[in-house]
Amino acid sequence: MKVLLFGIIAEKANAGELELEAESVSSLKHALEQQIKGLRELSYALAVDRVIVHNDQQLTGSEEIALLPPFAGG
Amino acid sequence: MEQMKADLNTGKKHKLRDIFVEGAIPASFIAESIAKHATRTDIGGHEIFLGQVRSDVIDDKSVEAIEYTAYREMANEQMTVIREEAFARWPQMTCLHVHHSQGVIKAGELCFMVFASAPHRQQAREAVAFVTDEVKKRLPIFGKEILSNATHVWKSNEPRDPGSWPG
Repeated sequence: MKVLLFGIIAEKANAGELELEAESVSSLKHALEQQIKGLRELSYALAVDRVIVHNDQQLTGSEEIALLPPFAGG
Repeated sequence: MEQMKADLNTGKKHKLRDIFVEGAIPASFIAESIAKHATRTDIGGHEIFLGQVRSDVIDDKSVEAIEYTAYREMANEQMTVIREEAFARWPQMTCLHVHHSQGVIKAGELCFMVFASAPHRQQAREAVAFVTDEVKKRLPIFGKEILSNATHVWKSNEPRDPGSWPG
């Protein structure tokens, strides 16, 4: 599945998106924290199909995932 | 791409609009926005909030610019929800316009506009205060503060917590 990266997370990964496979949000987070150095220490939210998720959920692979560091608009 | 969304509370339809503009918001754009409302004679008051890039001093270096990026699709969807909430709370509001910059905005330039019009000032005032706060909280917009020594820090609207968030 496509994982979009923004702000400081895109900077740390040196990429705007990654392609990863995972069956759930928690396993995806684990894989991302392995792959992106320093991600574990950052404050971030995870969005599934443009909605922030607060709990673990199953993923089918067709979702659009995004990692969102703290917002700074305005 | 346009998508219609129904407002359950007011029955009004809110289009999915793109709030983003490339670069700073020129003062002339704001003047033109005001002028466009002259034909709406049911309006009695406008309220406008303008966000300007502030030159904060961070570790003795001043902020020269902010580079804004956004998760544009999610931000526009969130804005539609906020717009629906605002029209549900202030149903007499005539119109609401929100624009936010993308790209590098220098200190002193405008990066954000919330413009509400209503028959009476109270609704426009309250709606602008609400929408401004909700945009800052809920829209996935990211800001890289570019400092005078060419380094940068990432801006956050959350209360600064040195334990969990640098800068």
